[in-house]
Amino acid sequence: MTRLLGRVFAALVGLFLVAPVLVTVASSLTTTRYVTFPPQGITLHWYAEVFRKEEFLSSFALSAGVALAAAAVSAVVGLACGLAIHRHRFPGRGALEAVLSGAFAVPTIVLGIGLLQWFAQMGLASSAFTLLLAHLVLTVPYTVRLVLAGLAGLDRSAEKAAAGLGAAPFLVFWHVTLPAVRGPLIGGAFFAFITSFDDLTVALFVVTTDLQTLPVRIFNYMQYDYDPTVTAIGTLMVLFAAVAVVVIERFVGVARLFGADAEQHR
Amino acid sequence: MSTSTTEAPAGTAVRRGRLRLDGVRKSLGGKEVVSAVDLETEPGEFLTLLGPSGCGKTTTLNMVAGHLTADGGVIEVDGRDITGTPPHRRSMGMVFQSYALFPHMTIADNVAFGLRMRKVAAAERRRQVDEVIEMVGLGGMAGRHPRQLSGGQQQRAALARALVIQPDLLLLDEPFSNLDAQLRVRLREEVVALQRRIGTTTILVTHDQEEALAVSDRIAVMADGVIHQLDRPSEIYLRPGTDFVAQFIGEVNALDGTAAGPAADGYACRVAGVTVAATPVGEPPAEGADVRVYVRPEVVRVGAGGNGLTGSVRETRFLGSRIRCVVTTQAGTVTAALPFDAEVPEVGAEVTCAWRPSDASLTAR
Amino acid sequence: MAAVGRVADGALSRSRWRTGLLLALPAIAIFALLFIAPLFTLVANSFRTQTGAFTLGNYERFLGDPFYRGVLWNTLKVAAMTTIGCLLIGYPFALYLRGRSPRVRNWLALLLLSPLLISMVIRAYGWLVVLGPNGPVASVLKWIGITPPQLLYNDTAVLIGMVHVMLAYMVLPLMGSLDRIDPTLVPAAKGLGAPAWTCFWRITLPLSAPGMLAGAMIVFSLTASSFVTPAILGGPKVKLMPYFVYTQATTTLDWPYAAAIGFVLVVVTTGLLLGYARLLRRGNGDVVFG
Repeated sequence: MTRLLGRVFAALVGLFLVAPVLVTVASSLTTTRYVTFPPQGITLHWYAEVFRKEEFLSSFALSAGVALAAAAVSAVVGLACGLAIHRHRFPGRGALEAVLSGAFAVPTIVLGIGLLQWFAQMGLASSAFTLLLAHLVLTVPYTVRLVLAGLAGLDRSAEKAAAGLGAAPFLVFWHVTLPAVRGPLIGGAFFAFITSFDDLTVALFVVTTDLQTLPVRIFNYMQYDYDPTVTAIGTLMVLFAAVAVVVIERFVGVARLFGADAEQHR
Repeated sequence: MSTSTTEAPAGTAVRRGRLRLDGVRKSLGGKEVVSAVDLETEPGEFLTLLGPSGCGKTTTLNMVAGHLTADGGVIEVDGRDITGTPPHRRSMGMVFQSYALFPHMTIADNVAFGLRMRKVAAAERRRQVDEVIEMVGLGGMAGRHPRQLSGGQQQRAALARALVIQPDLLLLDEPFSNLDAQLRVRLREEVVALQRRIGTTTILVTHDQEEALAVSDRIAVMADGVIHQLDRPSEIYLRPGTDFVAQFIGEVNALDGTAAGPAADGYACRVAGVTVAATPVGEPPAEGADVRVYVRPEVVRVGAGGNGLTGSVRETRFLGSRIRCVVTTQAGTVTAALPFDAEVPEVGAEVTCAWRPSDASLTAR
Repeated sequence: MAAVGRVADGALSRSRWRTGLLLALPAIAIFALLFIAPLFTLVANSFRTQTGAFTLGNYERFLGDPFYRGVLWNTLKVAAMTTIGCLLIGYPFALYLRGRSPRVRNWLALLLLSPLLISMVIRAYGWLVVLGPNGPVASVLKWIGITPPQLLYNDTAVLIGMVHVMLAYMVLPLMGSLDRIDPTLVPAAKGLGAPAWTCFWRITLPLSAPGMLAGAMIVFSLTASSFVTPAILGGPKVKLMPYFVYTQATTTLDWPYAAAIGFVLVVVTTGLLLGYARLLRRGNGDVVFG
């Protein structure tokens, strides 16, 4: 009896968790001109509509481009910074660590408005580049954290062993150190990608009317239109995210990103 | 004898691998952990650095391997000064306590790594890898990953990886301590047999005195960054040169007395009014000097009458292979470990404790 | 990169810390120029008038105006309600997860985290559809014969949307806490004659308090500083601080005032989190976040 109750409860929580996605995906197929669930009839019309809307495609290109750059830069910066923190002492190391962990605690909206005012003060006009810079603040702490976890799992003796077997320092790095953080790096890069790709809060402050990322575009579109185009885009983005999640789960484990496993945290 | 440095056929003792440390020092974190260590090995020797944790033995080994740079002193192999040589330009095969196998490579790739770094051609590499994997008894495991192997198998793989490069020295850093007791003994016997066969000079670091006694040609007992005594296992055991060596290895009877001069066999001294004899370690003390005699329980004979310390038996205990007999003498408590088939004295019986002078050591106090 | 693989950890030589500094430099640059500097600018601006003179007026205005005090109050209220909601759903769910096999747990944890991995806009939009006039909730109500009330653009809609995202932040530390409870304690108590309910009340619940506290802190402060979900589900009628930061910055263009509201928000949320982190470091906390 208690077992059954538990299962029903868990199922309800599960339903609650997937409800918005489920409903979005389902209602993207409706033939009506308004969003409705359950959908009436089945059509791919709204997907075709997405690809017909020039502004969505250019926004997608912008978002994807910035996200790709954010992923690549975060991986490299995260790797270098992780190595520095894990095995070097240098002035400012403690402060850097504090900032990296403190960055999670500052509200994104505050970061957004801070960047808006700072960029304005510096005379930096908003561009894809400033957006990339802004996103790095959101993504680098994650890659650093994952790299550190990967390095913590690496037996330093393995590096000594490689050196003892005749590997010059760069070869030790290439053959032993890098493979140990390969998974975290790939997972971290993918997470950086979706973080940047999905960001709305910071982008709202950094963008202008002719430079809108996909989330900003959708956000603005939603204010005026209530047709199922958005559900179609949403479905596509969910698919996109699902691929990323599979990759992350494969390489680091999603739970780890959010600090759910204790070991990597200590 | 072949002096070839590359192709030594198995079974031939390699006449290289003479390691010399001269005044080697190292401080870590502001504390001197190795102070002026001198050491010289014979080619093909199995030498053990034995001591408690923090005595500097691992630090010494890491300096030999090149993972740490000596603050002072000279490290030479076969006359070449390698003090400042980075580890990858030395030729040391090291086996770590944690095995340190590369987790993302197969056993074959792990073993081949050193050959790859030496740019050995693929076919030759494969041949040598197969040979050494077979030699350590891992035939058929070459394609597996380290995590698919048991602790003992991982240890063999690490050994194979260290040996395949035909190193000047084989360095073993507590290699058996992560294994369970039975496997530990079996593996160390195998390692010794292998080492005897290929003749690579080997330095073992361990805190396990039994292991050190069992495998070594010579043992260097270390404490507080210095070598207390460097000698053959039997010497170290029977004739400890310092209090530390005596206490660290096994059980010992320490008897304080004064030197009385050379005797027929050994050196006489007076302990609680009784004259006993022992062998001095190093320079014999001056007559009348304060000395200490170390006697292992195994060499003490307990009998009625004769020369030696006399006293009454306080307790006897059957320990399986030995019988422990504690005697209260005029010089204090003396413990004897009697063979299990020895005649066991009654508790309370008056007995004499004696030993051969060559089986006991005498040091200045 | 060449020095990266160096293993020797000898004395702290100059070249070694140079290598470290060099490796960390990009990250240091990013955080100095794009995190510290903007935050300083923000704080500095919050003490300025529109023309640049020093003033405390922005804070006086915020704290002196009953409307804005109401906004602050409402922000804290929504955050508190979300925290309670997460606790009420999250605690039983964490208990349920505890008894499952690692496989099942992993899947459910992934499910739990899935809202965090989906675009915020799309997620909020999904709730817009679910709770909308043509959505499943309304349909069911109609089918039963009840005229569906307005489900959107009120505190309840925001609450549902926020609990949905925040649940993971509550459940994960809770699971951590529950996992650390010695599994023999409850049988031991039972053996001493305690009924199941008493075991839960006297053993499991108090021992999982650190996880609850951690979850509550994180959920509270993240909810108080959320912008997208409340903006979409609550609209202009649900008055929360992040929304006003946004409108002051982009619509009213009163940057100093926006900065001041933002800074108050930082004090409320970050202060809470940092204070908690300190608390943890002092005791032997075992809780995870950021």
